[in-house]
Amino acid sequence: MSDLERRAQAGDEAAFESLYHEHAGRVFALCLRLSGDRTRAAELTQDVFVRCWEQLKSFRGESAFGTWLYRLTVNVVWTANRGDRRREARVLPVERPETVERPRDTATVGLSLDLEQAIASLPEGAREVFVLFDIEGYRHEDIARMTGIAVGTSKAQLFRARRLLREKLER
Amino acid sequence: MNEREREIDLPPELRAAVDGLPRTIEPPESLWPGIRDRIRLGKREGGRGKRSRWWIPLAAAAVLVVALAWWRLTPHSADAWEVRRVAGTPRVNDAALGAVGSLRVGEWLVTDDSSRALLAVGDIGEVDVKPGTRLRLVQARATDHRLALDRGAIFAHVDAPPRLFFVETPAGTAVDLGCAYALEVDSLGNGVLRVTGGYVEFDWSGRRSIVPLGAIAETRRGQGPGTPYVHDAPESLRQSLAAFDFSDGGDAAARTAVGAARAEDALSLWHLLQRVTPQLRPLVYDRLAQLVPPPESVTRSATLRLDAETLQRYWERIRRIAWRREILRDLRDLNPGTGLTK
Repeated sequence: MSDLERRAQAGDEAAFESLYHEHAGRVFALCLRLSGDRTRAAELTQDVFVRCWEQLKSFRGESAFGTWLYRLTVNVVWTANRGDRRREARVLPVERPETVERPRDTATVGLSLDLEQAIASLPEGAREVFVLFDIEGYRHEDIARMTGIAVGTSKAQLFRARRLLREKLER
Repeated sequence: MNEREREIDLPPELRAAVDGLPRTIEPPESLWPGIRDRIRLGKREGGRGKRSRWWIPLAAAAVLVVALAWWRLTPHSADAWEVRRVAGTPRVNDAALGAVGSLRVGEWLVTDDSSRALLAVGDIGEVDVKPGTRLRLVQARATDHRLALDRGAIFAHVDAPPRLFFVETPAGTAVDLGCAYALEVDSLGNGVLRVTGGYVEFDWSGRRSIVPLGAIAETRRGQGPGTPYVHDAPESLRQSLAAFDFSDGGDAAARTAVGAARAEDALSLWHLLQRVTPQLRPLVYDRLAQLVPPPESVTRSATLRLDAETLQRYWERIRRIAWRREILRDLRDLNPGTGLTK
C-alpha cells in the first residue's frame, strides 16, 4: 500500500484528494461508458469517491488500489442502474419487458466518437457487459461475481452487444 | 474461447478500435468540491465510524424497542417527511436545515439560488427540490401525499399506485399516475411540466391534461394546463397550441395546430378534440383519425359527442403508440400511426 493510500485511509483529506485526481479520469470513463450519460456519470463518479472514502478502511492492499477502486465503481454503477431500472419497470406500462431496457438518447451522451456513441446507445445490460468484458478486460466470471448476474447471462449480453454494435457500425 | 464466443467476436478492425479507446476521460472540474463537501458532511454525521462495532447490535435493539413503542403510541400516518440538505442552506420555515431534518405539515421548505434539498415523499418516492424553490407540505397521509409548489422547480419520482402523490401549484394540481417528472413554477405562478416516466395528470377547475412519458404541458395561473405536446413537436404546433390555450387564439389557432400536427402529435389532437368548439370538433377528429386510425370500437359520432368510454378507448391506443415510440426510440423504426415496426 502506498503512503498516499495509507494517509487517505487514516482520514487525510488532502491525500484522498490526490488519489481522486490520480484515478478520477479512469473512474469517470468507466461511469460514462457504463451509464451512457455524461451528467449521470458525473454524479456516479462523486458517489464512487464518497463510497471509496467510507470504505477505505476495508482496503487491505491485497490488490492494487486502482483494481479495488474500479471494482467498487462497477458495484456502485451497477447498483444505481438496477435501481433506475426497477423504478422504470414500475412506472412504465410494460408490454414487452425487454423494451424497458431501452437504449440511451445518443444526442445526450456527450461522447464524440462514433464508436463511443454506438456503445452508449446499446441497451443497458448489453452495454454494461460489453464495457466490462471488451473494454475493461474483465472475464465473465469476474463480471458475474461483481454484479450478481449469471455467467451465462453475461455471455448472452456480450453476444447481444457485439451483434448490435456490428449492426450499428455497418449501417 | 468457446465456439459461441468465436462466432460473435468483433471483426479485427472493430477490435482494434475498441482496444484503442481511451482508458481515461477527464471529468468536469467541479466534481471534487462536491465530493469534499459530502465526505465532510459524513464526518460531521459520525465519520467513517469503523472503530468499534460491538455496540451496534445493542443500539439496534434499543432503536427497535423505541420505534415499536413510537409505532404503537402514534398515528401510523406520519405528519412529517424527511428532508436532506444537498447543497447550500435550505430553510424549513425560518430555520436553517442541517444535514437531515424534517418537514412537517404546514411548514415551508425554501431553497435560495445556491441551495438544494431532497425531500422524501413518505416512503413512496422522493422530490429533488432545486434552487430558488418554495414549497409547503400540505398533507402527509398514507393515501394523500401532497405538496404545494409556490415557485421554483422540483423533480419528483414516485414508486407507488396512482393518485397517492399530488403537487398543487398556482395553475392547478399535478396528480401522480406512477411516474417521474420535472415541474417548474415561475414567480407569476405559470409553469411547465415535463414527464420522464409514466404519466401525470394535471387538473385545474375541471380542465385536465394527461401527460405521458416524453411529453410536456405548459401551465398558466388562472387558466390551468395547456394542451400537452411531445418533446419533439414542431415549433408551429407548439406556438399554435399556446395561442389556443393561453392567448385567445380561438378557432384560428386550433386550425393551425391541426394542420401542423403529425401522427406523433396524436396526444395533442386527442386533447384538442375535447377543447375546441363543437363546430371545429369534426375537423380535429378527422385529422386525428387520418393520422392514427381509431380502434374499431371507436366511432366518429360517439367521439364527436365526447362519449367518455369512447375517448378512453381511443386514448389507450394513442398512449400505447406514444409509449412504444418513446421507449423504442433509436431501436426500432416505428410507424407513428400504428406503433408497429415499419
